[in-house]
Amino acid sequence: MKIFRFIVSKIFLRKAILGIGMILLLCMANYITFTAARSILSTFQGYQETKYINQEGIYIANLDPDSHMDMGLINENGTHAVYDYLNNNFNYAFYTDGFIVSIPNTDDMEISLGYMNEEYYKLNQFELSQGADVDFNYQFDGEIPVLIGKGLSTTYPVGSTIKMEESVLGRPITLKVQGVLKQNAYHSNYYALNSKTYYNFSILVPVNEEFMNHANIDLRFNGLMDITILQSTKEQIADLGEVIKDNLGLKFNFFSQQENYDYFNEYYLHTLKIICIITFILLVVITCLSVWNALVSVRLMLKEFTINLLVGLSYSKLKKIFYGYFGILSFINLIVIFIITAFDRYGCWLRKDATFATYGLFGLIGMDWLALLLVAASDILIGVIVVESMLWKIKKIPISLGVLQ
Amino acid sequence: MLELSFAYILCFSLNLLLDYVKALDLDSYLLNAFLKNFIDYQPLVVSLFTFIVIVFHYQMLQRKKVEIFCRILVGGTVFNITTRYIRDSLTILIPVYLLSVLANAYLDFNFFSNFYLVLILITYILISARQVRKYENF
Amino acid sequence: MENQKNSNFLGGVTMTKIIDLSVKEKIYESKKAQISILNDFKLEVADGEKIAIVGESGVGKSSLLNIIGLIDRNYNGEYTLLGSLTNNLHTNELAQWRNQKIGFILQESALINSLTIEDNIKLPLLYAGSEKKEFKIEDFESVVDAIGIKPILKKKPLECSGGEKARAVFARGIIMKPQIILADEPTASLDMENRERIVTLLFKMNKEFNTTIITVTHDLEIANRHDRIIQLEKCSQRLG
Repeated sequence: MKIFRFIVSKIFLRKAILGIGMILLLCMANYITFTAARSILSTFQGYQETKYINQEGIYIANLDPDSHMDMGLINENGTHAVYDYLNNNFNYAFYTDGFIVSIPNTDDMEISLGYMNEEYYKLNQFELSQGADVDFNYQFDGEIPVLIGKGLSTTYPVGSTIKMEESVLGRPITLKVQGVLKQNAYHSNYYALNSKTYYNFSILVPVNEEFMNHANIDLRFNGLMDITILQSTKEQIADLGEVIKDNLGLKFNFFSQQENYDYFNEYYLHTLKIICIITFILLVVITCLSVWNALVSVRLMLKEFTINLLVGLSYSKLKKIFYGYFGILSFINLIVIFIITAFDRYGCWLRKDATFATYGLFGLIGMDWLALLLVAASDILIGVIVVESMLWKIKKIPISLGVLQ
Repeated sequence: MLELSFAYILCFSLNLLLDYVKALDLDSYLLNAFLKNFIDYQPLVVSLFTFIVIVFHYQMLQRKKVEIFCRILVGGTVFNITTRYIRDSLTILIPVYLLSVLANAYLDFNFFSNFYLVLILITYILISARQVRKYENF
Repeated sequence: MENQKNSNFLGGVTMTKIIDLSVKEKIYESKKAQISILNDFKLEVADGEKIAIVGESGVGKSSLLNIIGLIDRNYNGEYTLLGSLTNNLHTNELAQWRNQKIGFILQESALINSLTIEDNIKLPLLYAGSEKKEFKIEDFESVVDAIGIKPILKKKPLECSGGEKARAVFARGIIMKPQIILADEPTASLDMENRERIVTLLFKMNKEFNTTIITVTHDLEIANRHDRIIQLEKCSQRLG
């Protein structure tokens, strides 16, 4: 340890610019690796989630990008007609969220309301940390059983009630907390799998037919956007498309299980491949620059190293010192990446951004830790390349020459 | 010379690359979200990257210690050596910058989008030029 | 190849042989060519002997010193030092031997400029075992007093004169009280006064501690003060 401290403080830190250069290069490598890893992991998580939904015989709705939306054509009667058709002919999973409401809570967050029907609830297999499953056969005029996110569980424990002015129904309602979702439960967008909404400050309201009949046009219309038709056929779906077009003037595409998989495989796999290639190229460039920086260090500190070798330092000890030094630089960088991530995650709490607020050390979730682990792995790889290059360079020069440099 | 040109080219290329990515009309949300992490911090990323130029100047001057001392021994002055050093560095920087301006023009980008890099790199040259004085006495 | 001033190795007295070196060939590689030096070279050195190695530039004097000093193992031959065959020693062991058994006295430029003279001299202590180190630290004072470098201990090498630096290099070479001292042109750039000082100190080590001294020098006057002179002659071959 004393030798390590000596070499670092009396040799490496005397030429701090080279150390800073290495830290910056590593920092870039780490940032690139972290960003790529998180993109890939987040997409993978989203993909896993869609597997629950994307079952055989399902069709997921998606507004055609070329469809012109004329809000004048969208009215109460039109949406009612569509839902009447849906209720009469299909089993469907309904989910929509993003309806903001202000209710008291310990963190002063704006609360997001999500609405789901029984089919959606069954497909998603929500994991609860407290309480029990919601019941969809509730009395519409009474208390509505709901699931809440972990962030609300202190203010509203299981069994408590929440009174609020509800925008979808346009009247005051009473919600009864039936269960608490596991912390950091999330929902991924079907067609942007890497983006998520966290449920920590959400209330999931079960929707039954009566609720739907009393809900306003916003809920019914938004719910159509991602509606999932179950156990259906191409012909039936084609008829549904016609009904929507006739009543709302919108063209919807309905993608089957295979079409969704094809889309995921073609679009996401292709994009992930591009991300991997970009990351790889950037890492190779940065590794080359790091090796250059390391060789410059050897060139400028050769005399120092060889004199130490002359008086008793062994190559294997020098190797350990190099790895130790590189380990410290990597650790500094990991801390930097951790701080940036924590700042990003914790920033959501400070900004009261309920949909992205997550629980964990400074808000870091499993995906972040896994990405940090991958960063550490990439650091080890770069470290091995850099340190071995340095040793190769030192061993190439005879001690007797280096001493008299 | 070659190493310094390479370092300058790398810095300007990175800036150009990020400008190019910014201008791309990508239909992939995922790819856009990924690249946004770099584009949003473009000046910071490029500026940090330019640190390799500082490393280059530093190591070059360290290696030229003896040469500087010998030049002074045979009649050179610190002023002359410093001016020559600045002139040589600028002789490499200016063509590389002009090349990047041409690339900007070709790709229809803003001509001055990388001018800030010139200012940063000139600052490095001036700071490192002060180091020459340190080697007056070897 | 080898002319010995004292032709009777070990001088007729029973002395322990501490160096037994036999080099068949040493290839010196430069950028442009490979040169074969020290062909069929043999050397035996007794404990406490003072040997001078002389010869033209390029005959392999420093290469020989590097081999003896366990810096260079890239040669064809066998080398027994203090009774142990060194060819198969692990690099860690070689480093330990360089630290404990061998003292290198090189030209005055062989100091680390970022360290003080004191740190430079104490450098071998860093790599010594803890018990030995305590003992050596006690010795440190007596070494610096004997060499007369106390006033410059806190200075950096660049602030010292050539003579002062040469004495610092000398102090570093003897701080571990090695059994063998290898001196490579230790007085090459020194004035008469400093030259004499270094040589006197070197021989004092030999006299007081029976240290074996091997000196590479161009200075015949210094060479003549050794027990034996080994004259290396040019018989190198250019291989390509």
